[in-house]
Amino acid sequence: MALTGIAIYKMLAQTNCKECGYPTCLAFAMKLAARQVELSACPYVSEEVKAQLDSAAAPPVRLVSVGPEGHSLEVGNETVVYRHEKTFVHQPGVFFRLRADLDDQAFAERLDAVADYHIERVGQTLGPDGVAIEADSAPADRFASLVGKAAGKDVALILMASDPAVMEAGLKAAGASRPLIYPADAANQEAMVALAKTYKAPLVLRGADGDLEALANLADEAVKQGLEDLVLDPGTRGWADSLSALTRLRRAAIKKNFRPLGYPAIAFAGEAGDGPEKEAMLASQFIDRYAGFIVLDNFEPAALYSLLTLRQNIYTDPQKPIQVTPGLYEIGEPKAESPVLVTTNFSLTYFSVAGEVEGAGRPAWLLVSDSEGMSVLTAWAAGKFDAEAIGKAVKNTGIADKISHKKIVIPGAVATISGELEEELSGWEILVGPREAIGIPSYLRYLASNN
Amino acid sequence: MPVALPEVKETWSGKIVEVTLGAGPDKGGTRGRTVTVGGETALPFLHFEGQIPNRPVIAAEVSDRAPEDWSSLLTEAWGGVLEDPASWAARAEELGAEVIALSLDSAHPERGDTGAKEARATVRKVLEATSLPLIIYGPGQIDKDNEVLVAAAEEAKGERVALGNCEEKNYRTIVAAALANDQAVIAKTPIDVNLAKQLNVLIGDMGLARDRIIMDPTTGALGYGIEYTYSVMERVRLAALTGDAALQEPLLVTAGYEAWRAKEARTSEGVPAQWGDWNQRGLLWEANTSVTLLGTGADILVLRHPETISLVKYAVDELMKGV
Amino acid sequence: MSRYIARAAIRGANMIVGEAEQMVTSAVEDLGADTPVAFTNTAYYLPVILGFTGKEVTTLGQLPEVVDHAKKLLVDAPAKSLWLPYLGETLDAGAATLLAFEAMEGVRFARGQQPEPIQGLNLTGTSFTSPDSNGGARGDGGGFANGPIDDIQLRAWGIQLVDGRMPGFAAIVGAARSNEAAVSIVRELQKRNILVFLSGNVNGRSIIHQLMEEGVEMGYDTYIVPFGTDTISAIYALGFATRSALTFGGMTGGAVRDILLYNKYRVFAFVLALGEVDDLKYAAAAGAINYGFPVIADTLIPQILPTGVTTYEHVVSMPFDDIEGATDAEKARRMIQRCMEVRGVKVKITDVPIPVPYGSAFEGERVRKADLRVEFGGSKAHAFEYLRMVDTDQVEDGRITVVGPDFADLPEGGAMNLGIVIEVAGRKMQEDFEPVLERQVHYFVNGASGIQHVGQRDITWVRFSKGAVDKGFSIKNIGDILYARYHGEFGAIVDKVQVTLYTDPAEFEKWLGRARDAYQQRNVRLADMVDESVEEFYSCTLCQSFAPNHVCVVSPERLGLCGAYNWLDCKASYQINPTGPNQPIPKGIPLDKDLGIWQGSNAFAYQNTHQTVERVSLYSIMQDPMTACGCFECIAIIIPEANGVMVVSREDPSMTPAGMTFSTLAGVCGGGIQTPGMMGMGKYYLLSKKFISAEGGLKRVVWMSSFLKDTMAEDLKAVCEREGDPELLDKIADERYVTTVDELLPFLEEHGHPALAMESIL
Repeated sequence: MALTGIAIYKMLAQTNCKECGYPTCLAFAMKLAARQVELSACPYVSEEVKAQLDSAAAPPVRLVSVGPEGHSLEVGNETVVYRHEKTFVHQPGVFFRLRADLDDQAFAERLDAVADYHIERVGQTLGPDGVAIEADSAPADRFASLVGKAAGKDVALILMASDPAVMEAGLKAAGASRPLIYPADAANQEAMVALAKTYKAPLVLRGADGDLEALANLADEAVKQGLEDLVLDPGTRGWADSLSALTRLRRAAIKKNFRPLGYPAIAFAGEAGDGPEKEAMLASQFIDRYAGFIVLDNFEPAALYSLLTLRQNIYTDPQKPIQVTPGLYEIGEPKAESPVLVTTNFSLTYFSVAGEVEGAGRPAWLLVSDSEGMSVLTAWAAGKFDAEAIGKAVKNTGIADKISHKKIVIPGAVATISGELEEELSGWEILVGPREAIGIPSYLRYLASNN
Repeated sequence: MPVALPEVKETWSGKIVEVTLGAGPDKGGTRGRTVTVGGETALPFLHFEGQIPNRPVIAAEVSDRAPEDWSSLLTEAWGGVLEDPASWAARAEELGAEVIALSLDSAHPERGDTGAKEARATVRKVLEATSLPLIIYGPGQIDKDNEVLVAAAEEAKGERVALGNCEEKNYRTIVAAALANDQAVIAKTPIDVNLAKQLNVLIGDMGLARDRIIMDPTTGALGYGIEYTYSVMERVRLAALTGDAALQEPLLVTAGYEAWRAKEARTSEGVPAQWGDWNQRGLLWEANTSVTLLGTGADILVLRHPETISLVKYAVDELMKGV
Repeated sequence: MSRYIARAAIRGANMIVGEAEQMVTSAVEDLGADTPVAFTNTAYYLPVILGFTGKEVTTLGQLPEVVDHAKKLLVDAPAKSLWLPYLGETLDAGAATLLAFEAMEGVRFARGQQPEPIQGLNLTGTSFTSPDSNGGARGDGGGFANGPIDDIQLRAWGIQLVDGRMPGFAAIVGAARSNEAAVSIVRELQKRNILVFLSGNVNGRSIIHQLMEEGVEMGYDTYIVPFGTDTISAIYALGFATRSALTFGGMTGGAVRDILLYNKYRVFAFVLALGEVDDLKYAAAAGAINYGFPVIADTLIPQILPTGVTTYEHVVSMPFDDIEGATDAEKARRMIQRCMEVRGVKVKITDVPIPVPYGSAFEGERVRKADLRVEFGGSKAHAFEYLRMVDTDQVEDGRITVVGPDFADLPEGGAMNLGIVIEVAGRKMQEDFEPVLERQVHYFVNGASGIQHVGQRDITWVRFSKGAVDKGFSIKNIGDILYARYHGEFGAIVDKVQVTLYTDPAEFEKWLGRARDAYQQRNVRLADMVDESVEEFYSCTLCQSFAPNHVCVVSPERLGLCGAYNWLDCKASYQINPTGPNQPIPKGIPLDKDLGIWQGSNAFAYQNTHQTVERVSLYSIMQDPMTACGCFECIAIIIPEANGVMVVSREDPSMTPAGMTFSTLAGVCGGGIQTPGMMGMGKYYLLSKKFISAEGGLKRVVWMSSFLKDTMAEDLKAVCEREGDPELLDKIADERYVTTVDELLPFLEEHGHPALAMESIL
């Protein structure tokens, strides 16, 4: 049962030492209650309290890191089944599988393609996380050489080999890059667990056909052997079976606080074997529903871009929406006489407005005022989208130098600030636009016909 | 085995209402095929915890006016049928669409300003060209919606079409037309659970039976607010399954319209190389929007591209395979 | 039930059923039982008979059964000496009358006697019932009444009746006292978009004749439908009502109770009996009352005022000669107004009739000195606004009066006094709503282009620009705006609105005095309103769009977290929008009076937080505090080290002793979760007696943003005194002195803060 921050606070040292990174013990307790930090951050917890708090306060899905210390990929720490309850925390890693039977050139090209892929989207740089190198029947030295090549790149690694000897060769070649080891199953568990311990790397436990009970027992064994950083593969490869298995995993961890399944899951989108579009669609499902690591077989930039966009969307904190960078945006190719529209930097607001202006086929300047990511009415109510803020945006962007008129269109919802804004921006004419973005095309037409 | 698995199956008390679109000769209509959606007693495709008696269906968007603002990927994929809603609908049926979503777009004051008479003629023509059930949309301008949807409702009497959009501003007229002509409605609200609920209650207050209401919670496309729709639909479905009768209507999403408005789907000009192959990107923009919304409870997906229709049908096939 | 009316109606019913029986019998004899019987162009057979009995009459041979059915509904007329409630019998007699009427019209159709020929009557619009009913078609100047309304027109009008574009219909029976009165009555109804059905006569003269003589166009196009010149043809109005229920209510024939209730609640119709009311008309009126349609007569007849079968009064007498008004037109207007009230028909006003553009786009406009034509209030004059509720007979809806001089004689930029007095009446209006409605004056008046409004109550300040005055904007237009907007936005609670604008100095002073008394009374009343004094709290779920599991429980002593909604606002909002975000929460059994927990509020919270929050206490921060959405004005959080609570306001960006700024704190407690030790709140909650009263109230507050201290200084001082510690405010730290918990304790000790000596907050 979850404890309240107050209850946790009572068990802490109450010294406000700040060593946990929080200014007060109460602040730390509140975070702990929200399961947003680990108890281990507090150096002064007694063993007794630790035992009491551990199950109540530990994140129900363990945080697993892959990649070298410092810039590793972190997955897990999820606290909810449904995104709207709080937020999904750590984006699933997106990996591309490189098989050892690729020739060297193809391998190098694919590796580079993955390592070099970066794309900007609403102020964030998106990209895949790494590669999964699969040994198949390749000998240990071949596997090691391929892993060595990948380890030299700035990508996270998953090593896939069932033979512990081959795996060990790969782990040696991986050096300090802390790869994810795949797989340990009933057949090779003991050896793989030993390797994971030796090389301090996280380990994937592979079940079969969504049999979660067997998987839980594998995990229980691994923990008994002293391993903590685990990842689970329920063994499902299709749509419905994967959805069911991943959902049950997440529920067991979060709703039942069932430790043996409290680890991130890995899912393989390419093994349904239907080509890049269908693979990407299945990967979408994995992003939406509970995968921690997603392995793809086809590297297609278009598919990848759609998946990275989806991942960014789904892992947005519902209470902290994405913001676009405030500033002046050109929609179409605006000229000096094109109209100037102002809106807030809440991404959804920006996209609705920009989309409608674009759809209207009439170029315009879009002035995005810094509203700390709030929508028009919310920002107005919070005083973040008032005459002063808009005035500042007009001055900072130097829009006046780019246009031949002095007219600015404000959203109809904030018509009430037109008077103030007129004072703020002397010499400008303040026009009140439509209340909803959908009214923009007709409004622009109206503006054009009245000029 | 030493470790026993906890039971994670949820037990739900609610059930989604079953809504049938289209009426065959036995019910006074002329449809060769009808579709029934809803009836779920589980979260989407979680076959282990309840019944999912009806598969989600694909509706193809058909307009009474050749679209001017569509991406060339779409216009090329459809070809000449875009000029004629009847041929377009027939082609969509061949391509596997299960419902025709006919948009009377030409009634928009700025796009032709056609009236009741033209609306009737179009509806008649499309009814004759396809055996599928119809959703009929007005041009999205309240006065014109009222004008042409009332006419369309009468013209399609007996065929059990769904009239859309029925919004807070005009629901009374659309519901009245549905009541008078035995049709269903698409109740559309802006991404908000309580507004959706309120509109359903208001429509119910007017006496329209629950099995004649479909909810459109407003779709955000991939990259353009899909996460809002995802969460709102998930909340709607959870509330419905936990017994909130006012939210137990099947859900419709306009994935095609929204996805193809996105720059990513629409153009190949001046976009970064990392965006990859345009055609594939366009298809996946629509398909991945659809997959995500299928996962949060979409029962009807209104789509645009012929190839996406088959891609999304494939996804539904796979998801309907019980565990 | 009036015994007089009961006797008359039952007599009338007996008479007409007898007549119908004869008519049916002789028709069957003359024409044969198989002769078809049908109203033209309708799929509902004889609709009233279908509705009441479920019988689908297609031949004359089926009519005797209908007459038998009617006979079974009849009793003998009650003897004069008996004194019994006759409601049931009278309603049954009314039903029997309707069956008889429709059977008779069926026979007349079979005999080719319907629609009724009326010499010289030309109908506008296409009548599908009688395509050759226009006299012109026959070329002899003769014409026909409309007869029953066809199905196509039924659907077209029905949709408008159902969606509210058409408020209702008036069934007029008889003849008006003059042609002028007849025309005025019909025009008043047309103006309100009310459908008019005409039938009946007084001594052979019908309102149809009166309108023909005056050249009034009748027909579908003008929404005036002449059914026939006898009382029997009034059955087509009830046939229309019945078919509405069958078409739009999805009802089936024979479901008589459902059909009648549908009409009562959804079809806003009434009967207007003009001229002498005979037994047959009483019988027909009893039939209409079955549908929930009240009867208003322009002659002196007994009234049936208590509500029951109809929503409000059943039978109302309004002798035309006694109605106030200089002309028949004026009397007609008042009579129709009364009809609308009796039936509860709401007017819809969409346009604001003023000479300048109007809309929310103009809300923020300012009128600057250079553009100023005249101002009311400000530094050189006084203005006030006062909205009060009065009895319905003291308001004349739509009356706008300016008492005193205009501003024409003032120089440009001049100032004068103005009192804006709005009087409203409504069956759902409550005195509590006065301030809620009054606050809207600001938004309403500001919507006019070139007009600026600031302030409220007696610090109102209105400016007219030169441009607006040039276009003809006058003081009276303020009344036009208010009249239109109150009806438009608050139609659910306001039935009638009149506005008086006082510029006359003596009247201004008189009304200013009254307004100030009212403001004072309201203040006192608000102060007296406590949680114990009400049965219901209100919810606010407006924020669930981003905080899905948040419910604000708003009580008289605890306003919403955002500060924008107090208990009265929520109450009014619920009246206006019964399915909206503010719902009543019956308090139910108190579970803990100190913490402020009731069974009802718990149950509501549990259901509306989607089974996440089981208990909510209104007066505690420590135990089951209210969830927090995100738009709270302030955050309160405990400072265990100081054994107290701190309150930080949204305006304060500084570091707080909790070690977190407002925005960090908001991230911890927002989003609709319950966080013991923390809560969101509206700033005025600080002044409430119930402010964390479970933990000791304001005395627990050890730190507070200076913004709150400064902006609410007076009020807070009063609270300190109430709490028995007049110096308390100075003992509470703020960000000017303290931003860490380490600095806080010495400050509190130095100032002798009471929290240090209180029992442990943990």
